[in-house]
Amino acid sequence: MPAFITYNTKIRQTMASLTCTKFTLLAAAAILLQITGLSLFVFGFFPIRPALSGVSGPESFRPPSASCDSFEDQNFTALHPDQLKSLYQVLHYLGLDHVGHLGGRSSILMGPKLQEMDEVIKMIHLSTIQTQESGHGRTLLVVVSDHGMQNNGNHGGSSYEETDSLALFIGPRNSHASATDDTINQVDIAPTLALLFGVPIPKNNAGHLIVDLFHPIEDHQLLRVLELNSWQLLRLLQAQSTDSTCGSFICQAVKKDYSSGLDEYEGSLEEISSCLYLDAAALHRSWKSKHALRSASNDDLLCTVLAYSEFLRTASKQLSHRATDKPIGLLASGIMAMLLSCAMLLGLLFKLDKEIYPRREPSLSNLQIYKFQLAEVLAVVVMVVIVLSMGSSSLVEEEQYLWHFMTSTFFLVLLRQTIQSTKGGDLSNLLNSSMGNGNRTCIQLCSIAVIVISLRILRGWHQGGVNWTHLPDISKSLEMAGSSCIKSFQLLSVVLVISLCLYALSSLWSKSYIIIVIELSYLCAGLLVLQYVIKYQGSGIAASDNDASLAARLIYAFLVMLTTGTVIASPWVLSFQNSHTDLQDLTSNFQSMDLSLLIKDSLFLSGTTYMFGWCLLQLLLQQPVNLMPISLLLIQILATIYYASHGGADVKQWIEIAALYYLGMAGHFSLGNTNTLATIDVARAFIGISSHSTVLSGLIMFAITYASPMLALLSMVMSISMKDINPLREANMGQLFKMILGFPCLVPLALNSLLLVAYTIILLLMRNHLFIWTVFSPKYMYIVVTTVCVLVGVLIVASTVTYIICASVFLGRRQYKDHNSCVNS
Amino acid sequence: MKNKKKGHNIKDITRGDAVVQNLSPSKVLLSHLICGIGLASSFWLAINIYSINLIDNPASTLRLIWLIEVPVVVLLYSLFRKDMNQSSYLKAVARGLLGLPVGAVVHALGAIVLGAPVGTQYFLRTLNWSLLMSTFTFVPAASVYGSSWVDWHRIFAQTKPIGSIDYMICLPAHGAVIGGWFGAWPMPLDWERTWQEWPICVTYGAIIGYLVGMLASFCSAVFRVSSQHVKGD
Repeated sequence: MPAFITYNTKIRQTMASLTCTKFTLLAAAAILLQITGLSLFVFGFFPIRPALSGVSGPESFRPPSASCDSFEDQNFTALHPDQLKSLYQVLHYLGLDHVGHLGGRSSILMGPKLQEMDEVIKMIHLSTIQTQESGHGRTLLVVVSDHGMQNNGNHGGSSYEETDSLALFIGPRNSHASATDDTINQVDIAPTLALLFGVPIPKNNAGHLIVDLFHPIEDHQLLRVLELNSWQLLRLLQAQSTDSTCGSFICQAVKKDYSSGLDEYEGSLEEISSCLYLDAAALHRSWKSKHALRSASNDDLLCTVLAYSEFLRTASKQLSHRATDKPIGLLASGIMAMLLSCAMLLGLLFKLDKEIYPRREPSLSNLQIYKFQLAEVLAVVVMVVIVLSMGSSSLVEEEQYLWHFMTSTFFLVLLRQTIQSTKGGDLSNLLNSSMGNGNRTCIQLCSIAVIVISLRILRGWHQGGVNWTHLPDISKSLEMAGSSCIKSFQLLSVVLVISLCLYALSSLWSKSYIIIVIELSYLCAGLLVLQYVIKYQGSGIAASDNDASLAARLIYAFLVMLTTGTVIASPWVLSFQNSHTDLQDLTSNFQSMDLSLLIKDSLFLSGTTYMFGWCLLQLLLQQPVNLMPISLLLIQILATIYYASHGGADVKQWIEIAALYYLGMAGHFSLGNTNTLATIDVARAFIGISSHSTVLSGLIMFAITYASPMLALLSMVMSISMKDINPLREANMGQLFKMILGFPCLVPLALNSLLLVAYTIILLLMRNHLFIWTVFSPKYMYIVVTTVCVLVGVLIVASTVTYIICASVFLGRRQYKDHNSCVNS
Repeated sequence: MKNKKKGHNIKDITRGDAVVQNLSPSKVLLSHLICGIGLASSFWLAINIYSINLIDNPASTLRLIWLIEVPVVVLLYSLFRKDMNQSSYLKAVARGLLGLPVGAVVHALGAIVLGAPVGTQYFLRTLNWSLLMSTFTFVPAASVYGSSWVDWHRIFAQTKPIGSIDYMICLPAHGAVIGGWFGAWPMPLDWERTWQEWPICVTYGAIIGYLVGMLASFCSAVFRVSSQHVKGD
């Protein structure tokens, strides 16, 4: 504890409160738990299975090299791709699905549509018959439907009606008609088609061929297709087995039953399948030698086919299970860890809220509690709504509407709260801005008006989403209006950001030449960006242009140096400037005033530096049409901080932080991002990079995509600087840290962990949903990266504030000592 | 100081409302029934006489509804004007009619901020919708309270109604706004239904909320009377 604080006798009454160290340790433990849980879940849910690379080639007509089978018969290539020159044509007929969606199974449009389809198939079939008759080749016509539908036309689930679909194979050997109502797996279609066409089976396919479809077929050809499929599956099994040496495929399983015709084995699945393969291969060999001697019986053939089918079935099942089975223990422990971490963070948040805003006596606070509940309740409701909506794929696709709707409702409730806090009959005060209270309310109302208006403009900037992307929006109309229009908006936003930056820096309490130097360097950075925007953006010059990339690199270096330099130097620079005045008038309570102001000023300077450094970087990186949204986002965030700083005790700090977080999330979508991977701007991630570097371009891609949440997180340093920080009022340094860093760190962490854990559970529940890979998994990726963004942002905020307070206290102590020695002498 | 002032206000209001406060539940029911019947008859007229409906012709149907509902509400609520001694019935009617465009502006701004589409093709819909919302919320309050900021603040900012008149204004108005807010939920979904368009489902939500609010106001009137009886005993 610093010496000059010891005289402070007013120790805050904190009953059963956590000390700062405990608090920090718990929060750090929660974060570590979250990271561990997340990694466990991600590696359990998205397992990395070794897959064979490349496409299948002629090697698929040879036995696997690692096989212990010595069977070599290169002459037996009845179905070589060169022999069958196949021409593929894929026709996707969409109308039936659409009719189903419009009117269900029994729609009046269904009959005519089916008839139309029949006509199309008839037409194709007639033309294939013609070509066959004229001897131009053989055609296989395959009609498959990818799903059925429920009575109301919906599909995507796994009910009988939804998976009841058709597979019709019309080939040249149409003498054989077999109708089967058995269940076949989708994975079986690929090997069947490949073998019917006489081309290699895809390397990583886990299905086995549908033997029925090959009839009528010569015996040796039937065994050949079974053999080819077996080789392909064996290769895949070998690639995926844990030790892919030849030895593992020696039959290690024990024969269980010798009596029955087919061998049954006991042992691990891998061992069983290798034994089955060896059996089938041996039978095949013996059949072939008998066939050559013309002594092969029908039983021999049947035995071989059965042996191959058994192997194929086992291997296919084993491979499918590997692809779909989830390690339950891993997933459960991951989710438990994330749940625990979420509960810890929320618990800490409640504890902190209770400690900082102790409930007053009921007689006094009845009104007070009621008054501020609505905004707090809504802040929680926002999260509940977002979490609930994530279970529906349509709402995940259109998440931007939800964030905008909830965030604007939140701010409208804050508006109502502000009006509420004016006493009845205060209309004159409200309108008459000369009075203190009225002035304050007026400022608050104006800031909320600015926030909601810019929120609405941002919502209209990019339509976003999946279903309503075609609707007109501002970015489309700007692009229609031409590049000069976009250019003027770009210039306007750059000028806006620079002027806001200079205004913010000039509102610092201390005025000295160093501040002017910082202002000038920011002006310089802004002008560099302006020059880059004018010269290189949208003018058709490629980003790979040498001058452009050099200029971009110069701006990167300048911004990074300026930001880190200012943040590190801020307490020293400001205290140096303060000490000049202090030596002249040595007032008795200079430490208290000075230290508080020094901390606030340094924090404000650092916060401004972070925000504007980030904004200038974004002006450089974002696509031209997004520059205006960046400046609007900046205005929103500044207005929120301004609103809260004029709200006094009426606006709880955690409400402010939650508002900033929501603005950041709503802004994420207004920069044109969606929950699909298509909107990630990969091209702009190579600005200023001369050689290909995955790490650097990944960092830039992250900066472009997460511009808005990161800006909101970085703005928390400035928001902290607006609070009443008095190091001498707190019992100790720990208490001080807890008071000012508690909410800015905990609120984003807790809100994000809530989203993360809820979405993890939803992803697990939706694992069999039709849209798991198109909607839910990309969204999960975004959520995971948002978590990374929040962690990085909180780390930056916490370390900056800690550094500045420690440095300021150190400086204050030194000044105090200097002052004492001065007085003594 | 703050508390003193509040106590003073409350006393003032109770004294001021003394004349109208003991509005019997039957009267509350009657006035709400008249409003509800006005709403129902406007729908009946739209469907049977003009053969238009909310889904196919939202703008013209909304116009018809508010054109019928406004006179009903204004004439009815002007009877309950707060300052009966100072202002005449006609003055209250004029106040109510003045409140209509003001409320419409507020509602239109609110809707646009919350994401209502902006554009010339939506202008008429938004205009008529906001006039209807104003009929539910601003018009009765303007007829009863005039420009008394204290009352407006009490009803709409603090939601602290005192007496049955306050409840009659406060609950349906809040119901309409909250119902409209919930009514906006299906709008972004990809169900491809015509009623998902602005402002059809929002209007349905608002009307349902309004009806629920009226029901709640009647219940509160009944409850208050019974509790007063208990107190009296």
